Amino acid sequence: MRFEHWPYVVRLRLRSLLRRGRVERELDEELRDHLERQVEANVAQGMRPDEARRQAQLAMGGLEQRKEECRDTRRVSRLENLLRDVRYAFTSLRRSKGFTAVAVLTLGLGIGANTAIFTVVNAVLLRPLPYRDPGALVLLKYERSTTVAPATFYDWQSASRSYASMGLAEWWTPNLTGSDRPEALRALHISPTILPMMGIAPMLGRVFHPDEAHTGQDRVVVLSYPYWKARFAADSGAVGRRIILDGESYTIVGVMPEGFDFAPFWATNTQLWVPLNLDARSDDRSGSSLRGFARLNPGVTLAQARSELTAVTARVELAHPGTSKGVTVVPLQEMVVGDVHDALVILLAAVAFVMLIACANVAHLQLMRAAAREREFAVRAALGASRSRILQQSFLESGILATAGAMLGLALAWGGVRLLVALGPAQLPRLQTITMDGTVFGVLVGSIVLAALLFGAAPARAAARADVQGALKEGSRGASESGRRGRFRSALVASEFAMAVVLLVGAGLVLRSFFALLAVDPGFDPGNLLSAQVALDGTAHIDPARRAVFFQDLVERVGALPGVESASAINHLPLNGDNWKFPFFVEGRPAPPEGQGNSALFRVVKPGYFRTMRIPMIEGRDLSPADESGAAHVVVVNQLMARRRWPGQSALGQRISVDDPARTPEWFTVVGVTKDARQGGWAEAGIEEMYFPYLPYSRGPGSEGSHPLLSFLDPTYLTLVIRTTSDPVALARSVEDVVHELDRDAPVSNVITMQQAVSAQFAGPRFYLLLLGVFAAVAVVLAAVGVYGVISYSVARRTREIGVRLALGAGRRAVFGLVVGQGMRLALIGGGIGLAGALVITRFLRTLLFGVRPTDPATFLLGTLILAVVALVACAIPARRAAGVEPATVLRSE
Amino acid sequence: MSRPADLVQGTLDLLILKLLALEPLNGWAIGLRLKQLSSDVLQVSEGSLYPALHKLEQEGWITAEWKQTENNRRAKFYSLTRLGRRQLEREAAAWTRLSQAISLVVRMREA
Repeated sequence: MRFEHWPYVVRLRLRSLLRRGRVERELDEELRDHLERQVEANVAQGMRPDEARRQAQLAMGGLEQRKEECRDTRRVSRLENLLRDVRYAFTSLRRSKGFTAVAVLTLGLGIGANTAIFTVVNAVLLRPLPYRDPGALVLLKYERSTTVAPATFYDWQSASRSYASMGLAEWWTPNLTGSDRPEALRALHISPTILPMMGIAPMLGRVFHPDEAHTGQDRVVVLSYPYWKARFAADSGAVGRRIILDGESYTIVGVMPEGFDFAPFWATNTQLWVPLNLDARSDDRSGSSLRGFARLNPGVTLAQARSELTAVTARVELAHPGTSKGVTVVPLQEMVVGDVHDALVILLAAVAFVMLIACANVAHLQLMRAAAREREFAVRAALGASRSRILQQSFLESGILATAGAMLGLALAWGGVRLLVALGPAQLPRLQTITMDGTVFGVLVGSIVLAALLFGAAPARAAARADVQGALKEGSRGASESGRRGRFRSALVASEFAMAVVLLVGAGLVLRSFFALLAVDPGFDPGNLLSAQVALDGTAHIDPARRAVFFQDLVERVGALPGVESASAINHLPLNGDNWKFPFFVEGRPAPPEGQGNSALFRVVKPGYFRTMRIPMIEGRDLSPADESGAAHVVVVNQLMARRRWPGQSALGQRISVDDPARTPEWFTVVGVTKDARQGGWAEAGIEEMYFPYLPYSRGPGSEGSHPLLSFLDPTYLTLVIRTTSDPVALARSVEDVVHELDRDAPVSNVITMQQAVSAQFAGPRFYLLLLGVFAAVAVVLAAVGVYGVISYSVARRTREIGVRLALGAGRRAVFGLVVGQGMRLALIGGGIGLAGALVITRFLRTLLFGVRPTDPATFLLGTLILAVVALVACAIPARRAAGVEPATVLRSE
Repeated sequence: MSRPADLVQGTLDLLILKLLALEPLNGWAIGLRLKQLSSDVLQVSEGSLYPALHKLEQEGWITAEWKQTENNRRAKFYSLTRLGRRQLEREAAAWTRLSQAISLVVRMREA
């Protein structure tokens, strides 16, 4: 339309919109005038007056239809119609409350669950790491280990060209002293290149200078935002202040902004960073506590970086055999999400299924409603409603339902996200960053549009096909529905059952795994057991001689507290994430080739540990105070190690070493064999364990040249384990008091009951079980509603036919069977397809399963059975109604 | 119902514009005039006439006015606007082109 039109056209449109009454009157008058003239003309031609009027009307072809066509030429009629249709849609939805409630609830559940899970998946999996250009950040690691030796790293650094920057990080747990409250902190030693590599500027102060990584420089520290807030009350004057870490004074030079965390996959929630000083270790090719980070140069692909690093490492390996094998480059993002990837994909698939079921359900609810409204549509069409108007009406109703469903869904999602975050296992990375965001909202809107299209299309199609004459003629006789539409609806119900079976089987497998987990014997008794970590770095007791006395006193004093049955200590508590393994050699066996050696879990324990944990001794004896003198080196191993290393004979009296026997090894004699105890994780069995006595002085003078392991035999921290006679939590206070009486600078951290540690192990499985369980339940309910709806509808339509059958002598039982059979056929066809699908899909569940195969027949059978029963009940209700039909009443009502 | 000989889509618009270029008319008169002028060949049903009129009005090519008729009735008289005149020229030219082209084809001698 050309612009000169506009003033005129706008005036016209406004007139039709604002003076609608007048415009309508004029339209009526104009057409009526025409009609009158036609009648006059007909009469003039000699017709009888009534015939003349009839002919005139015929020529006009329906006054109302013509009016409607004229109205359509005013463009505003669209807007008007839309408003009217919206009003009509609301009325119509309000009239069928049951339908509306079921549809909105179904959609709300679908959309709500979808959004909540998507929010979590998005936060954990999809959202890029919060660093600048995070796609270019990588971890340099070995295939079998994530740690790197300093000298090898220097070789990489000098020989490769793919990286814009490289740096190392090392875990550190310093003790903060010199204030009223000693604290064990989570910290990282990092190369000064690391923070600039992440590309996030400090909020206050600065990050490290390159030379601050060398000896002789002032010690400096950068704080994380949460720690700065907690310890320094967010005081910007904190920069420049000094703190004491492990007895050394550090100057605070900067604070990182809120939301910054490094490293992202390990050592998360780090409270502070200090420069990594490698001066003393630059030639070390065996150290294994450093992790290598790098940023790829722009344009360098992962494959290029990988092949270059492999080539560089091959040269290193030539120069220093046995130090560097199987190196690789992994995107940082992959390191972060790797572990939970499968589980989250499964959840997303479950969500998609529930959403599809929800949509299918609403679709056939709408479809049934459309069929019931055929007459209404036909009447509207007869009264001049165009096909597009009827379609618009259909889409509007769908749209309103979808919007209401979406609003309910948004509310459910909001609550759901909160619930998920509250219930989510701690090991779900980046959980604390979860908030509903734009992407999630986009997905929500996307699913509404999809839902509206999906289930709006079905009734719209039916309406578009509405055959005015046919529908009006058939009248109320309750014609049996057309075969095609019936088949479509049946297919919808069958596919709902298929998806419900998949979810049910999935949830069943996870449930069985959960029971299997509950049935696990951890090898120790977690009830009434308190643990607390006590660290001495930076305190007056850091001196080895004093340290031994301190720990001995501590265990004795805690053991003497009222309510304590027994007490002992271990370096790393089982089920607390520390799974430190060390290589070992068996006396009298040849040393295995490089890289294929044996290794076993390494624990240092005080006497009485096994008794306190109630880990039974199978053979031999517990460690004794005398063993701590170091006069005779002894060790306790677990049953698995004893059986595997000395099959068919007693392990007692055998000797192992942590040192290559080719050198002069220190042999440790096995004096006891204990039952296997779960160590790394509740579900992890088959780990060899070796328990060494706490050996003071082992890194003192005179131990020159001995194996590095020996230096770990007098750790600077131990974890108390305390068996109590009543609630262990009540004792936490007095245990801390005992520690502080002995050393007021020694921080007590990680005070937890063993039961809490065990519960944490169940958090993940419980979380997934809950999610899949809810999904399966929703799916089954929706599928049941689906089959119920279809069967009731069919019964309602066939009431007359059923009446005739009964009148002709069919038994009520036969009628009941007929109806139930119709529904069960759908359920079983769908169920069968679902079982086949489940066989394929449950494979992806493998990482979530424990003690049950993904194709467990019992679970498959049970899932099918549950669904069959649900379907039976859902069909039985309408079937009973069918069997209760009174033939006389039905036939008379026609 | 007697259906008119189908008019080529849009031709009705052209005819109406042409009639109104001669003088303002009401709907009834336009129908009559169409029949008379085309010697009853173009019988336009009232069914399509009024929507067409309303469409032209909404496009801004014709404008309507309520006036007394010769026999003292009130009727809606349509007349051509300036824009309508231009539109008529365009459509007439297009029609001429089209009909000439079709005539040419129709008159082609068969081999």
